[in-house]
Amino acid sequence: MLVVRDLVKKYGDFLAVDHLNMEVERGQIFGFIGPNGAGKTTTMKIIATLLAPTSGQVVVDGIDVFKEPIKAREKIGYMPDFFGVYDNLKVMEYLNFYGSAYGIEYHKRRRIAEELLELVDLSDKRDAYVDTLSRGMKQRLCLARCLIHNPELLILDEPASGMDPRARAEIKAILKELKRMGKTILISSHILPEMAEICDNVGIIDRGKLVVQGSVEQIMQRMTGRTAVRIRVLRDMDRAISLLKEQPMVTGVIEEDQELEVACRGGDEDLWQLLRTLVSSDVPVVSFRKMEGNLEQIFMEVTSDEEVVL
Amino acid sequence: MKRWFYNPVLASSLKTRMRGWRTAAAVTAYLGVMLFIAYVFFKISFANEVMHYLSVSANRSVGLRVYMLLAVLQFALILLVTPAQTAGVISSEREMQTLDLLLCTKMSPFSIIIGKLLSSLAFILLLVISSIPLFSLVFLFGGIAPEDVAMLFLFYIITAFAVGSIGIFYSALFKRTVVSTVVSYVTIFFLGIVSIILGVYMMSLHYSQLPRPSDYYVPFVFYINPTIGLSDLLYRQAGVTAPNPYYGILALLFGVGWSSGSPQGWFQRLPLWVANSIVMSGIAVLLLCASAWIIKPYKRFRRRS
Repeated sequence: MLVVRDLVKKYGDFLAVDHLNMEVERGQIFGFIGPNGAGKTTTMKIIATLLAPTSGQVVVDGIDVFKEPIKAREKIGYMPDFFGVYDNLKVMEYLNFYGSAYGIEYHKRRRIAEELLELVDLSDKRDAYVDTLSRGMKQRLCLARCLIHNPELLILDEPASGMDPRARAEIKAILKELKRMGKTILISSHILPEMAEICDNVGIIDRGKLVVQGSVEQIMQRMTGRTAVRIRVLRDMDRAISLLKEQPMVTGVIEEDQELEVACRGGDEDLWQLLRTLVSSDVPVVSFRKMEGNLEQIFMEVTSDEEVVL
Repeated sequence: MKRWFYNPVLASSLKTRMRGWRTAAAVTAYLGVMLFIAYVFFKISFANEVMHYLSVSANRSVGLRVYMLLAVLQFALILLVTPAQTAGVISSEREMQTLDLLLCTKMSPFSIIIGKLLSSLAFILLLVISSIPLFSLVFLFGGIAPEDVAMLFLFYIITAFAVGSIGIFYSALFKRTVVSTVVSYVTIFFLGIVSIILGVYMMSLHYSQLPRPSDYYVPFVFYINPTIGLSDLLYRQAGVTAPNPYYGILALLFGVGWSSGSPQGWFQRLPLWVANSIVMSGIAVLLLCASAWIIKPYKRFRRRS
């Protein structure tokens, strides 16, 4: 359904997308994971025909999006990471407006809009002004908007960002329903455990490169025997980082909120060794805990300097 | 065919803009100001004229003067209101991040631009049309024919179209609405005021050559100045055959004589306001095409590697 070949996007000397290759099968949900500024949004905008790449090719359902962008747009529903509202527009009018922008006949688009509002559970809000909706509702409306022309590929940029757990669960339920309807979905997020739950395949992007790509199970298998720990030190953060990087079992160190996230190989024995090294070198460790979760571990691993080949 | 005329951006903007009390209040305030100024002017002039002459021609001259006042007033308001209406339409879409949503629909960048321009102009048009009854007052006195008012309104629409295109262009060019609004007003100031000084300077340079040229010379900046067009139109309607008053006033100020010789070629033979309208419309179309090109995601001469 979606094939991306050797995609490159440069802003001056900065390489935002670095020879990215990926493939998404029809009917799949593909999770696009990466830290902020990794190139997720840029890649998604390029696929959605909103940004010209420096080089490379994107094919959606057999259509080259750069050669035939207008034809490709019929196949693509794009939802950006920010929800823009027009003042003075009601929910139904909002959908009606985008329906008309896609050239759908008046009666048809009214009917589609009603159906979509039902799908995203906003039927009782049809006459409410868009700017009075809650964040979760707006996000669901935005999802309905990108479905108005019945696209086959949905590109959803961080659809669950900044939402409470209940709203996230609602979005997840809608995504599962869309998958059941046969839609192909490319979704980016940094909420990793959720991605594992709904995605068939995931790709992890870092500094414009897709460093890991495969099914969640595949990646999990590959990562068995790898652990991530979160360490808090009282002071001497820099010394702790350089000491950690010297250890053979450590594959990556990220500093975040006065804490260190460390990816390492091996089991509990190795973790004990690591802690012992830190303590014996007089690094004031106040907290040392193993990180739970699965994809987060992988994320930590692959966004370090080492590249993982599956 | 129906689809061709239907612009979703225009349809949606018209609906939302007319909703609520704001537009009605703006039209009421606009007409209120115009009516008040016209009333005061009319009261003063009429009292003076009637007291002194008490004749039909006095009525006619009062009517003409009220007409001129209203025409200039309305024109100034168009020049002031149009940039405010248009200079934010694309940049605010960008700020709200809704431009991308529009661009990934089937609408072309040009139809988005046209929809935005027309919806802004629709408001100006509403102001202009709602002022027709006010203008009709001058018919009581005679001296001005309905065709004159129609021609004036046509010139208004062309001016609003041209000034609106400038606003849209800056709005597409600059990311922030504040910047595009300021630059639009600076441009209008340049077109309305600075271009006259520049034009007169060019004339003075032209005619100060030795031996003194005797050709018909209109500096090109006069063709892009809508106020020159308006004054030409109004003086024609008032039956004044003398050249444009700007030349006269500025000739006094700068010691420049107005164009001598007779017009050469079809373009120079056109009334100045018509030539002015043609040039402004041409520039407006170019600016609209440029705006559509700016917002287009794929540029034609995109670098390939």
